[in-house]
Amino acid sequence: MRTDSKRWGDPVLVATVAPLGIVMLLFFIIPLVMTVVLSFQTTQFYRLSWTWDLKIWTEVFSKPHYWTIMARTVAMALVCVVVCVLIAFPAAYALATRLRAYNAQIQILIIFAFLTDAVLKTFGWILVLDKSGVANWLLAHLGLGPEALNLLFTPTGTIIGMVYGLVVYPMFTIYLSLARIDRDLVLAAYDSGASRLRAFFEVTLPLARPGLYCGAVLVFVLSLGAFLEPKVLGGGTAPLASELIRQSFETRVNWPLGAALTLVLIVIGALSLALAAAVLMRGNRGRAVQ
Amino acid sequence: MIPERLKDRFVDVFLVGTVALLILFFYVPILTLVVFSFTSSRVLTFPIEGFSLEWYGELFRKPDFLPAVTNSAIVAVISTVFATVLGSAGAVAWIRYRFRFQNIFRAISFLPLLFPQLLLGVVMLLWFSVLGNWLGFSTGLATVIIGHIVYITPFALVIVAVQVHGFDETLEDAARDAGASGWEVFREITFPLLWPGILSAATFAFLLSWGNFYVSYSLAGTARTLPIFVYSGIAVGSSPIYPALATLNFIPALVLVFLADFLRRRALKRQKLATA
Repeated sequence: MRTDSKRWGDPVLVATVAPLGIVMLLFFIIPLVMTVVLSFQTTQFYRLSWTWDLKIWTEVFSKPHYWTIMARTVAMALVCVVVCVLIAFPAAYALATRLRAYNAQIQILIIFAFLTDAVLKTFGWILVLDKSGVANWLLAHLGLGPEALNLLFTPTGTIIGMVYGLVVYPMFTIYLSLARIDRDLVLAAYDSGASRLRAFFEVTLPLARPGLYCGAVLVFVLSLGAFLEPKVLGGGTAPLASELIRQSFETRVNWPLGAALTLVLIVIGALSLALAAAVLMRGNRGRAVQ
Repeated sequence: MIPERLKDRFVDVFLVGTVALLILFFYVPILTLVVFSFTSSRVLTFPIEGFSLEWYGELFRKPDFLPAVTNSAIVAVISTVFATVLGSAGAVAWIRYRFRFQNIFRAISFLPLLFPQLLLGVVMLLWFSVLGNWLGFSTGLATVIIGHIVYITPFALVIVAVQVHGFDETLEDAARDAGASGWEVFREITFPLLWPGILSAATFAFLLSWGNFYVSYSLAGTARTLPIFVYSGIAVGSSPIYPALATLNFIPALVLVFLADFLRRRALKRQKLATA
Protein backbone atom coordinates (compact mmCIF):
# COMPACT_ATOMS: atom_id res chain seq x y z
CA MET A 1 0.00 0.00 0.00
CA ARG A 2 1.48 3.31 -1.10
CA THR A 3 0.82 6.33 1.09
CA ASP A 4 0.86 10.03 0.25
CA SER A 5 2.41 12.51 2.65
CA LYS A 6 0.12 15.47 2.94
CA ARG A 7 0.43 18.89 4.50
CA TRP A 8 -2.36 20.58 6.38
CA GLY A 9 -2.62 23.23 3.66
CA ASP A 10 -3.81 20.58 1.20
CA PRO A 11 -7.57 21.02 0.66
CA VAL A 12 -8.03 17.28 0.00
CA LEU A 13 -6.60 16.44 3.41
CA VAL A 14 -8.74 19.06 5.14
CA ALA A 15 -11.84 17.79 3.33
CA THR A 16 -11.27 14.17 4.39
CA VAL A 17 -10.06 14.75 7.95
CA ALA A 18 -11.70 17.92 9.23
CA PRO A 19 -15.43 17.01 9.17
CA LEU A 20 -14.99 13.75 11.07
CA GLY A 21 -12.38 15.27 13.36
CA ILE A 22 -14.68 18.15 14.27
CA VAL A 23 -17.69 15.89 14.88
CA MET A 24 -15.66 13.65 17.20
CA LEU A 25 -14.10 16.61 18.96
CA LEU A 26 -17.42 18.36 19.57
CA PHE A 27 -19.55 15.38 20.45
CA PHE A 28 -17.10 12.85 21.87
CA ILE A 29 -13.94 14.46 23.28
CA ILE A 30 -15.55 17.57 24.75
CA PRO A 31 -18.35 15.48 26.35
CA LEU A 32 -15.66 13.30 27.96
CA VAL A 33 -13.92 16.38 29.36
CA MET A 34 -17.31 17.68 30.50
CA THR A 35 -17.96 14.43 32.35
CA VAL A 36 -14.73 14.90 34.29
CA VAL A 37 -15.66 18.53 35.04
CA LEU A 38 -19.17 17.60 36.18
CA SER A 39 -17.90 14.96 38.58
CA PHE A 40 -16.40 17.81 40.66
CA GLN A 41 -19.71 19.63 41.02
CA THR A 42 -22.66 18.96 43.34
CA THR A 43 -26.42 19.14 43.19
CA GLN A 44 -28.79 21.18 45.29
CA PHE A 45 -32.53 20.55 45.14
CA TYR A 46 -32.09 18.41 42.01
CA ARG A 47 -30.26 21.22 40.25
CA LEU A 48 -26.63 21.33 39.32
CA SER A 49 -24.54 23.80 41.26
CA TRP A 50 -21.02 24.72 40.15
CA THR A 51 -19.07 24.27 43.36
CA TRP A 52 -15.78 22.58 42.41
CA ASP A 53 -15.20 20.22 45.32
CA LEU A 54 -14.48 16.58 45.97
CA LYS A 55 -17.79 15.82 47.67
CA ILE A 56 -19.00 13.39 45.00
CA TRP A 57 -15.69 11.59 44.78
CA THR A 58 -15.54 11.20 48.57
CA GLU A 59 -19.04 9.72 48.42
CA VAL A 60 -18.08 7.35 45.62
CA PHE A 61 -14.99 6.11 47.43
CA SER A 62 -16.62 5.79 50.84
CA LYS A 63 -19.68 3.76 49.85
CA PRO A 64 -18.97 0.01 49.79
CA HIS A 65 -22.35 -0.46 48.06
CA TYR A 66 -20.99 1.12 44.85
CA TRP A 67 -17.85 -1.00 44.92
CA THR A 68 -19.80 -4.22 45.45
CA ILE A 69 -21.69 -3.41 42.26
CA MET A 70 -18.52 -2.44 40.41
CA ALA A 71 -16.87 -5.71 41.50
CA ARG A 72 -19.92 -7.66 40.34
CA THR A 73 -19.83 -5.84 37.00
CA VAL A 74 -16.16 -6.73 36.50
CA ALA A 75 -16.78 -10.35 37.55
CA MET A 76 -19.68 -10.69 35.11
CA ALA A 77 -17.56 -9.12 32.38
CA LEU A 78 -14.75 -11.63 33.05
CA VAL A 79 -17.14 -14.60 32.91
CA CYS A 80 -18.50 -13.18 29.68
CA VAL A 81 -14.96 -12.92 28.24
CA VAL A 82 -14.13 -16.53 29.09
CA VAL A 83 -17.37 -17.91 27.62
CA CYS A 84 -17.11 -15.74 24.50
CA VAL A 85 -13.52 -16.78 23.79
CA LEU A 86 -14.26 -20.47 24.39
CA ILE A 87 -17.07 -20.30 21.84
CA ALA A 88 -15.46 -17.86 19.41
CA PHE A 89 -12.08 -19.56 19.02
CA PRO A 90 -13.19 -22.96 17.70
CA ALA A 91 -15.84 -21.29 15.53
CA ALA A 92 -13.35 -18.83 14.03
CA TYR A 93 -10.84 -21.65 13.56
CA ALA A 94 -13.45 -23.72 11.75
CA LEU A 95 -14.36 -20.77 9.52
CA ALA A 96 -10.71 -20.15 8.67
CA THR A 97 -9.75 -23.79 8.05
CA ARG A 98 -12.71 -26.09 7.42
CA LEU A 99 -15.61 -24.05 6.10
CA ARG A 100 -13.92 -21.79 3.55
CA ALA A 101 -16.42 -22.76 0.85
CA TYR A 102 -19.38 -21.59 2.92
CA ASN A 103 -17.74 -18.53 4.50
CA ALA A 104 -19.79 -15.95 2.61
CA GLN A 105 -23.12 -17.55 3.53
CA ILE A 106 -22.16 -18.09 7.18
CA GLN A 107 -20.92 -14.53 7.48
CA ILE A 108 -24.19 -13.16 6.14
CA LEU A 109 -26.19 -15.25 8.62
CA ILE A 110 -24.05 -13.98 11.49
CA ILE A 111 -24.09 -10.35 10.34
CA PHE A 112 -27.87 -10.39 10.01
CA ALA A 113 -28.29 -11.77 13.52
CA PHE A 114 -25.76 -9.25 14.85
CA LEU A 115 -27.42 -6.28 13.21
CA THR A 116 -31.03 -6.82 14.27
CA ASP A 117 -32.62 -4.88 17.07
CA ALA A 118 -31.05 -5.83 20.43
CA VAL A 119 -34.20 -5.10 22.45
CA LEU A 120 -36.25 -7.46 20.31
CA LYS A 121 -33.62 -10.20 20.51
CA THR A 122 -33.49 -9.83 24.28
CA PHE A 123 -37.26 -10.16 24.38
CA GLY A 124 -36.88 -13.27 22.23
CA TRP A 125 -34.61 -14.73 24.92
CA ILE A 126 -37.34 -14.15 27.51
CA LEU A 127 -39.67 -16.29 25.42
CA VAL A 128 -36.98 -18.97 25.13
CA LEU A 129 -35.86 -19.04 28.76
CA ASP A 130 -39.23 -18.51 30.43
CA LYS A 131 -40.55 -21.35 32.60
CA SER A 132 -43.20 -22.10 29.99
CA GLY A 133 -40.83 -21.17 27.18
CA VAL A 134 -39.15 -22.97 24.31
CA ALA A 135 -36.10 -24.26 26.22
CA ASN A 136 -38.12 -25.98 28.94
CA TRP A 137 -40.60 -27.42 26.44
CA LEU A 138 -37.69 -28.89 24.50
CA LEU A 139 -36.10 -30.33 27.64
CA ALA A 140 -39.37 -31.85 28.78
CA HIS A 141 -39.82 -33.51 25.40
CA LEU A 142 -36.30 -34.83 25.47
CA GLY A 143 -37.27 -36.58 28.67
CA LEU A 144 -35.31 -34.38 31.05
CA GLY A 145 -38.33 -33.57 33.15
CA PRO A 146 -40.37 -30.41 33.48
CA GLU A 147 -38.77 -27.20 34.64
CA ALA A 148 -35.30 -28.57 34.29
CA LEU A 149 -34.19 -25.04 33.49
CA ASN A 150 -34.91 -21.97 35.49
CA LEU A 151 -32.56 -19.47 33.95
CA LEU A 152 -34.71 -16.40 33.52
CA PHE A 153 -34.06 -13.70 36.12
CA THR A 154 -30.77 -15.26 37.23
CA PRO A 155 -27.16 -14.14 36.57
CA THR A 156 -26.89 -17.06 34.12
CA GLY A 157 -29.70 -15.48 32.12
CA THR A 158 -27.74 -12.23 32.06
CA ILE A 159 -24.58 -14.02 30.88
CA ILE A 160 -26.46 -15.79 28.08
CA GLY A 161 -27.77 -12.44 26.87
CA MET A 162 -24.38 -10.74 27.10
CA VAL A 163 -22.54 -13.55 25.32
CA TYR A 164 -25.23 -13.50 22.65
CA GLY A 165 -24.64 -9.84 21.98
CA LEU A 166 -20.84 -9.84 22.15
CA VAL A 167 -19.50 -13.17 20.84
CA VAL A 168 -19.40 -11.77 17.31
CA TYR A 169 -16.54 -9.39 18.19
CA PRO A 170 -13.91 -11.99 19.25
CA MET A 171 -15.06 -14.28 16.43
CA PHE A 172 -14.29 -11.54 13.97
CA THR A 173 -10.90 -10.54 15.44
CA ILE A 174 -9.75 -14.15 15.91
CA TYR A 175 -10.89 -15.05 12.39
CA LEU A 176 -8.90 -12.12 10.99
CA SER A 177 -5.71 -13.23 12.71
CA LEU A 178 -6.20 -16.88 11.79
CA ALA A 179 -6.93 -16.03 8.15
CA ARG A 180 -3.67 -14.08 7.95
CA ILE A 181 -1.53 -16.99 9.12
CA ASP A 182 0.75 -18.22 6.39
CA ARG A 183 -0.30 -21.82 5.73
CA ASP A 184 3.31 -22.68 4.88
CA LEU A 185 4.36 -22.10 8.49
CA VAL A 186 1.96 -24.79 9.68
CA LEU A 187 3.06 -27.14 6.89
CA ALA A 188 6.70 -26.50 7.80
CA ALA A 189 5.92 -27.53 11.37
CA TYR A 190 4.38 -30.78 10.07
CA ASP A 191 7.43 -31.38 7.88
CA SER A 192 9.76 -31.02 10.82
CA GLY A 193 7.81 -33.75 12.56
CA ALA A 194 5.38 -31.85 14.75
CA SER A 195 2.09 -33.54 15.47
CA ARG A 196 -1.12 -31.69 14.55
CA LEU A 197 -1.67 -30.81 18.19
CA ARG A 198 1.87 -29.58 18.67
CA ALA A 199 1.76 -27.51 15.46
CA PHE A 200 -1.47 -25.96 16.68
CA PHE A 201 -0.06 -25.00 20.07
CA GLU A 202 3.34 -23.86 18.85
CA VAL A 203 2.51 -22.20 15.55
CA THR A 204 -1.18 -21.41 15.10
CA LEU A 205 -2.09 -20.35 18.62
CA PRO A 206 0.80 -17.91 19.15
CA LEU A 207 0.14 -16.34 15.75
CA ALA A 208 -3.56 -15.99 16.60
CA ARG A 209 -2.74 -14.25 19.88
CA PRO A 210 -3.31 -10.65 18.69
CA GLY A 211 -6.84 -11.48 17.55
CA LEU A 212 -7.48 -13.42 20.73
CA TYR A 213 -6.39 -10.55 22.98
CA CYS A 214 -8.18 -7.88 20.94
CA GLY A 215 -11.39 -9.89 20.98
CA ALA A 216 -11.15 -10.62 24.69
CA VAL A 217 -10.49 -7.03 25.71
CA LEU A 218 -13.24 -5.78 23.38
CA VAL A 219 -15.76 -8.12 25.02
CA PHE A 220 -14.58 -7.07 28.47
CA VAL A 221 -14.83 -3.35 27.81
CA LEU A 222 -18.16 -3.53 26.01
CA SER A 223 -19.75 -5.77 28.63
CA LEU A 224 -18.97 -3.21 31.35
CA GLY A 225 -21.87 -1.15 29.97
CA ALA A 226 -24.43 -3.96 29.64
CA PHE A 227 -27.80 -2.68 30.73
CA LEU A 228 -30.57 -4.45 28.83
CA GLU A 229 -29.48 -7.98 29.70
CA PRO A 230 -29.18 -7.60 33.50
CA LYS A 231 -32.41 -5.64 33.53
CA VAL A 232 -34.55 -7.76 31.21
CA LEU A 233 -32.99 -11.25 31.50
CA GLY A 234 -31.45 -10.89 34.96
CA GLY A 235 -34.67 -9.43 36.31
CA GLY A 236 -32.79 -6.63 38.06
CA THR A 237 -32.01 -8.90 41.01
CA ALA A 238 -28.26 -8.41 40.75
CA PRO A 239 -27.85 -4.86 39.41
CA LEU A 240 -24.72 -3.98 37.50
CA ALA A 241 -22.92 -0.64 37.15
CA SER A 242 -25.15 0.42 34.27
CA GLU A 243 -28.20 0.26 36.54
CA LEU A 244 -26.41 2.30 39.19
CA ILE A 245 -25.57 4.98 36.63
CA ARG A 246 -29.10 5.03 35.27
CA GLN A 247 -30.54 5.41 38.76
CA SER A 248 -28.23 8.27 39.63
CA PHE A 249 -29.56 10.10 36.57
CA GLU A 250 -33.22 9.16 36.56
CA THR A 251 -34.22 8.43 40.14
CA ARG A 252 -31.84 10.62 42.09
CA VAL A 253 -31.28 13.28 39.40
CA ASN A 254 -27.70 13.52 40.57
CA TRP A 255 -25.61 14.25 37.48
CA PRO A 256 -22.25 14.66 39.24
CA LEU A 257 -22.68 11.24 40.82
CA GLY A 258 -23.66 9.71 37.46
CA ALA A 259 -20.65 11.37 35.86
CA ALA A 260 -18.28 10.06 38.56
CA LEU A 261 -19.61 6.49 38.32
CA THR A 262 -19.36 6.64 34.52
CA LEU A 263 -15.74 7.74 34.87
CA VAL A 264 -14.98 4.83 37.21
CA LEU A 265 -16.19 2.42 34.51
CA ILE A 266 -14.30 4.27 31.78
CA VAL A 267 -11.09 4.08 33.84
CA ILE A 268 -11.56 0.33 34.42
CA GLY A 269 -12.06 -0.11 30.67
CA ALA A 270 -9.09 2.08 29.76
CA LEU A 271 -6.79 0.24 32.18
CA SER A 272 -7.75 -3.14 30.73
CA LEU A 273 -7.14 -1.83 27.20
CA ALA A 274 -3.72 -0.54 28.26
CA LEU A 275 -2.92 -3.88 29.89
CA ALA A 276 -3.89 -5.79 26.73
CA ALA A 277 -1.79 -3.43 24.60
CA ALA A 278 1.20 -3.87 26.91
CA VAL A 279 0.91 -7.68 26.87
CA LEU A 280 0.65 -7.72 23.08
CA MET A 281 3.60 -5.39 22.71
CA ARG A 282 5.75 -7.55 24.97
CA GLY A 283 4.75 -10.64 23.02
CA ASN A 284 5.82 -8.97 19.78
CA ARG A 285 9.14 -7.87 21.20
CA GLY A 286 9.77 -11.38 22.54
CA ARG A 287 9.26 -12.79 19.08
CA ALA A 288 11.52 -10.17 17.51
CA VAL A 289 14.34 -11.13 19.89
CA GLN A 290 14.04 -14.79 18.98
CA MET B 1 -4.96 -46.17 20.82
CA ILE B 2 -7.33 -44.17 18.64
CA PRO B 3 -6.37 -44.24 14.97
CA GLU B 4 -5.12 -40.86 13.65
CA ARG B 5 -7.77 -40.72 10.93
CA LEU B 6 -10.59 -41.12 13.43
CA LYS B 7 -9.11 -38.42 15.62
CA ASP B 8 -8.94 -35.99 12.69
CA ARG B 9 -12.51 -36.83 11.83
CA PHE B 10 -13.50 -36.11 15.42
CA VAL B 11 -11.77 -32.72 15.36
CA ASP B 12 -13.53 -31.84 12.09
CA VAL B 13 -16.92 -32.75 13.52
CA PHE B 14 -16.21 -30.74 16.68
CA LEU B 15 -15.16 -27.63 14.77
CA VAL B 16 -17.95 -27.67 12.22
CA GLY B 17 -20.38 -28.52 15.03
CA THR B 18 -19.32 -25.42 16.97
CA VAL B 19 -20.20 -23.21 14.02
CA ALA B 20 -23.53 -25.00 13.53
CA LEU B 21 -24.39 -24.64 17.22
CA LEU B 22 -23.33 -21.01 17.20
CA ILE B 23 -25.64 -20.23 14.27
CA LEU B 24 -28.42 -22.10 16.05
CA PHE B 25 -27.68 -20.01 19.16
CA PHE B 26 -27.92 -16.81 17.09
CA TYR B 27 -31.24 -17.79 15.60
CA VAL B 28 -33.00 -19.31 18.62
CA PRO B 29 -34.48 -16.00 19.87
CA ILE B 30 -35.09 -14.74 16.34
CA LEU B 31 -37.03 -17.81 15.20
CA THR B 32 -38.87 -17.96 18.53
CA LEU B 33 -40.12 -14.43 17.98
CA VAL B 34 -41.33 -15.30 14.47
CA VAL B 35 -43.23 -18.34 15.80
CA PHE B 36 -44.83 -16.39 18.65
CA SER B 37 -45.97 -13.63 16.33
CA PHE B 38 -48.57 -16.03 14.88
CA THR B 39 -50.07 -17.12 18.18
CA SER B 40 -53.76 -16.74 18.76
CA SER B 41 -53.40 -16.49 22.54
CA ARG B 42 -52.53 -13.44 24.59
CA VAL B 43 -50.31 -15.54 26.86
CA LEU B 44 -46.85 -16.29 25.52
CA THR B 45 -46.32 -19.97 26.34
CA PHE B 46 -44.75 -22.58 24.12
CA PRO B 47 -46.03 -24.39 22.10
CA ILE B 48 -48.34 -21.68 20.81
CA GLU B 49 -52.04 -22.46 20.96
CA GLY B 50 -53.25 -21.62 17.50
CA PHE B 51 -52.47 -19.68 14.36
CA SER B 52 -53.69 -16.14 13.87
CA LEU B 53 -52.60 -12.83 12.45
CA GLU B 54 -54.56 -10.71 14.91
CA TRP B 55 -51.47 -9.37 16.72
CA TYR B 56 -50.21 -7.76 13.53
CA GLY B 57 -53.47 -5.81 13.40
CA GLU B 58 -53.24 -5.06 17.10
CA LEU B 59 -49.74 -3.65 16.59
CA PHE B 60 -50.90 -1.15 13.97
CA ARG B 61 -53.77 -0.08 16.21
CA LYS B 62 -51.26 1.00 18.88
CA PRO B 63 -51.29 4.80 18.60
CA ASP B 64 -47.59 5.30 19.30
CA PHE B 65 -46.33 2.56 16.95
CA LEU B 66 -46.30 4.42 13.63
CA PRO B 67 -44.79 7.63 15.07
CA ALA B 68 -41.96 5.49 16.51
CA VAL B 69 -41.41 3.92 13.07
CA THR B 70 -41.29 7.36 11.46
CA ASN B 71 -38.79 8.60 14.06
CA SER B 72 -36.57 5.54 13.60
CA ALA B 73 -36.64 5.98 9.84
CA ILE B 74 -35.70 9.68 10.02
CA VAL B 75 -32.87 8.97 12.45
CA ALA B 76 -31.57 5.98 10.49
CA VAL B 77 -31.57 7.70 7.08
CA ILE B 78 -29.83 10.87 8.26
CA SER B 79 -27.29 9.02 10.45
CA THR B 80 -26.52 6.60 7.61
CA VAL B 81 -25.75 9.42 5.17
CA PHE B 82 -23.48 11.23 7.62
CA ALA B 83 -21.78 8.12 9.04
CA THR B 84 -21.08 6.74 5.56
CA VAL B 85 -19.70 9.99 4.12
CA LEU B 86 -17.62 10.85 7.20
CA GLY B 87 -16.45 7.25 7.58
CA SER B 88 -15.45 6.88 3.93
CA ALA B 89 -13.51 10.14 3.88
CA GLY B 90 -11.92 9.24 7.21
CA ALA B 91 -10.95 5.79 5.94
CA VAL B 92 -9.03 7.28 3.00
CA ALA B 93 -7.18 9.60 5.38
CA TRP B 94 -6.52 6.71 7.79
CA ILE B 95 -4.94 4.40 5.24
CA ARG B 96 -3.65 6.40 2.29
CA TYR B 97 -2.38 9.65 3.71
CA ARG B 98 0.41 10.51 6.10
CA PHE B 99 0.07 13.80 7.92
CA ARG B 100 0.86 15.56 11.18
CA PHE B 101 -1.35 14.62 14.10
CA GLN B 102 -2.52 11.54 12.20
CA ASN B 103 -2.35 9.42 15.34
CA ILE B 104 -4.61 11.83 17.19
CA PHE B 105 -7.04 11.72 14.29
CA ARG B 106 -6.94 7.92 14.27
CA ALA B 107 -7.50 7.73 18.01
CA ILE B 108 -10.48 10.07 18.18
CA SER B 109 -12.16 8.57 15.12
CA PHE B 110 -11.80 4.99 16.39
CA LEU B 111 -12.26 5.33 20.14
CA PRO B 112 -16.10 5.36 20.21
CA LEU B 113 -15.93 1.74 19.00
CA LEU B 114 -14.23 0.80 22.28
CA PHE B 115 -16.89 2.50 24.36
CA PRO B 116 -19.83 0.66 25.83
CA GLN B 117 -22.81 2.29 24.12
CA LEU B 118 -24.48 3.16 27.39
CA LEU B 119 -21.47 5.15 28.57
CA LEU B 120 -21.19 6.86 25.19
CA GLY B 121 -24.83 7.85 25.53
CA VAL B 122 -24.44 9.06 29.11
CA VAL B 123 -21.35 11.13 28.34
CA MET B 124 -23.11 12.81 25.42
CA LEU B 125 -26.26 13.29 27.48
CA LEU B 126 -24.28 15.22 30.08
CA TRP B 127 -22.80 17.45 27.42
CA PHE B 128 -26.12 18.07 25.65
CA SER B 129 -27.81 18.83 28.96
CA VAL B 130 -25.19 21.40 29.92
CA LEU B 131 -25.22 22.83 26.40
CA GLY B 132 -29.01 22.81 26.38
CA ASN B 133 -29.06 24.77 29.63
CA TRP B 134 -26.82 27.41 28.12
CA LEU B 135 -28.42 27.61 24.70
CA GLY B 136 -31.98 26.73 25.62
CA PHE B 137 -32.72 23.44 23.87
CA SER B 138 -33.64 20.01 25.14
CA THR B 139 -32.67 16.54 23.91
CA GLY B 140 -34.73 15.01 21.12
CA LEU B 141 -34.39 13.47 17.67
CA ALA B 142 -31.56 15.84 16.68
CA THR B 143 -29.39 14.76 19.61
CA VAL B 144 -30.21 11.10 18.86
CA ILE B 145 -28.97 11.60 15.29
CA ILE B 146 -25.73 13.18 16.52
CA GLY B 147 -25.26 10.32 19.00
CA HIS B 148 -25.81 7.73 16.28
CA ILE B 149 -23.30 9.46 13.99
CA VAL B 150 -20.63 9.36 16.72
CA TYR B 151 -21.37 5.71 17.51
CA ILE B 152 -21.73 4.40 13.94
CA THR B 153 -19.09 6.32 11.97
CA PRO B 154 -16.18 4.22 13.37
CA PHE B 155 -17.92 1.04 12.12
CA ALA B 156 -18.34 2.59 8.65
CA LEU B 157 -14.73 3.76 8.77
CA VAL B 158 -13.37 0.28 9.53
CA ILE B 159 -15.44 -1.34 6.77
CA VAL B 160 -14.39 1.18 4.12
CA ALA B 161 -10.78 1.09 5.38
CA VAL B 162 -10.62 -2.63 4.54
CA GLN B 163 -11.66 -1.75 0.98
CA VAL B 164 -9.14 1.11 0.78
CA HIS B 165 -6.42 -1.23 2.00
CA GLY B 166 -6.91 -3.58 -0.94
CA PHE B 167 -6.98 -0.69 -3.40
CA ASP B 168 -4.82 -0.86 -6.51
CA GLU B 169 -3.49 2.67 -6.94
CA THR B 170 -1.77 1.95 -10.27
CA LEU B 171 -5.23 2.27 -11.85
CA GLU B 172 -5.35 5.89 -10.68
CA ASP B 173 -1.87 6.50 -12.06
CA ALA B 174 -2.93 5.04 -15.39
CA ALA B 175 -5.98 7.30 -15.55
CA ARG B 176 -3.85 10.33 -14.65
CA ASP B 177 -1.29 9.42 -17.32
CA ALA B 178 -4.13 9.22 -19.81
CA GLY B 179 -4.91 12.85 -18.99
CA ALA B 180 -7.76 12.62 -16.50
CA SER B 181 -8.17 15.48 -14.02
CA GLY B 182 -8.20 14.93 -10.25
CA TRP B 183 -11.98 14.97 -10.11
CA GLU B 184 -12.29 12.61 -13.11
CA VAL B 185 -9.90 10.14 -11.50
CA PHE B 186 -12.01 10.21 -8.36
CA ARG B 187 -15.31 9.84 -10.23
CA GLU B 188 -14.22 7.21 -12.75
CA ILE B 189 -11.67 5.15 -10.77
CA THR B 190 -11.44 5.80 -7.03
CA PHE B 191 -15.12 5.94 -6.20
CA PRO B 192 -16.22 2.90 -8.27
CA LEU B 193 -13.40 0.83 -6.74
CA LEU B 194 -14.39 1.80 -3.21
CA TRP B 195 -18.11 1.47 -3.89
CA PRO B 196 -18.55 -2.13 -2.61
CA GLY B 197 -17.03 -1.16 0.73
CA ILE B 198 -19.08 2.04 0.95
CA LEU B 199 -22.23 0.06 0.22
CA SER B 200 -21.49 -2.46 2.99
CA ALA B 201 -20.73 0.42 5.34
CA ALA B 202 -24.04 2.11 4.54
CA THR B 203 -26.00 -1.11 5.12
CA PHE B 204 -24.25 -1.63 8.44
CA ALA B 205 -24.83 1.99 9.42
CA PHE B 206 -28.52 1.87 8.58
CA LEU B 207 -29.21 -1.32 10.52
CA LEU B 208 -27.07 -0.29 13.50
CA SER B 209 -29.01 2.96 13.71
CA TRP B 210 -32.40 1.35 13.11
CA GLY B 211 -31.93 -1.16 15.93
CA ASN B 212 -30.01 1.07 18.31
CA PHE B 213 -31.34 1.21 21.83
CA TYR B 214 -28.64 2.43 24.22
CA VAL B 215 -27.63 5.68 22.52
CA SER B 216 -31.22 6.57 21.62
CA TYR B 217 -32.45 5.76 25.11
CA SER B 218 -29.95 8.19 26.63
CA LEU B 219 -30.42 11.00 24.14
CA ALA B 220 -34.04 10.87 22.97
CA GLY B 221 -35.64 12.93 25.72
CA THR B 222 -39.37 12.49 25.17
CA ALA B 223 -39.02 11.34 21.55
CA ARG B 224 -39.48 7.63 20.84
CA THR B 225 -37.74 5.39 18.34
CA LEU B 226 -38.78 1.82 17.66
CA PRO B 227 -36.39 0.13 20.15
CA ILE B 228 -37.48 2.56 22.89
CA PHE B 229 -41.13 1.77 22.03
CA VAL B 230 -40.39 -1.95 22.48
CA TYR B 231 -38.34 -1.45 25.65
CA SER B 232 -40.98 0.61 27.41
CA GLY B 233 -43.58 -1.94 26.28
CA ILE B 234 -41.82 -5.09 27.53
CA ALA B 235 -40.90 -3.32 30.78
CA VAL B 236 -44.63 -3.17 31.54
CA GLY B 237 -45.50 -6.70 30.43
CA SER B 238 -45.09 -9.01 27.48
CA SER B 239 -47.62 -9.02 24.69
CA PRO B 240 -47.71 -10.85 21.35
CA ILE B 241 -47.53 -7.54 19.49
CA TYR B 242 -43.76 -7.46 20.10
CA PRO B 243 -43.06 -10.75 18.33
CA ALA B 244 -45.24 -9.44 15.49
CA LEU B 245 -43.19 -6.26 15.39
CA ALA B 246 -39.97 -8.28 15.48
CA THR B 247 -41.06 -10.37 12.51
CA LEU B 248 -41.99 -7.27 10.52
CA ASN B 249 -38.63 -5.81 11.50
CA PHE B 250 -36.61 -8.84 10.32
CA ILE B 251 -37.96 -8.89 6.78
CA PRO B 252 -36.60 -5.54 5.52
CA ALA B 253 -33.33 -6.12 7.40
CA LEU B 254 -32.92 -9.51 5.75
CA VAL B 255 -33.71 -8.09 2.32
CA LEU B 256 -31.25 -5.24 2.89
CA VAL B 257 -28.42 -7.52 4.04
CA PHE B 258 -28.85 -9.89 1.09
CA LEU B 259 -29.27 -7.08 -1.43
CA ALA B 260 -26.15 -5.31 -0.19
CA ASP B 261 -24.17 -8.53 -0.38
CA PHE B 262 -25.46 -9.24 -3.90
CA LEU B 263 -24.55 -5.74 -5.11
CA ARG B 264 -21.17 -5.89 -3.40
CA ARG B 265 -20.31 -9.17 -5.05
CA ARG B 266 -21.49 -8.00 -8.45
CA ALA B 267 -19.29 -4.93 -8.12
CA LEU B 268 -16.31 -7.09 -7.11
CA LYS B 269 -16.85 -9.40 -10.06
CA ARG B 270 -17.00 -6.42 -12.44
CA GLN B 271 -13.77 -5.11 -10.99
CA LYS B 272 -12.07 -8.42 -11.53
CA LEU B 273 -13.24 -8.48 -15.14
CA ALA B 274 -12.13 -4.87 -15.62
CA THR B 275 -8.64 -5.40 -14.22
CA ALA B 276 -8.13 -8.78 -15.90
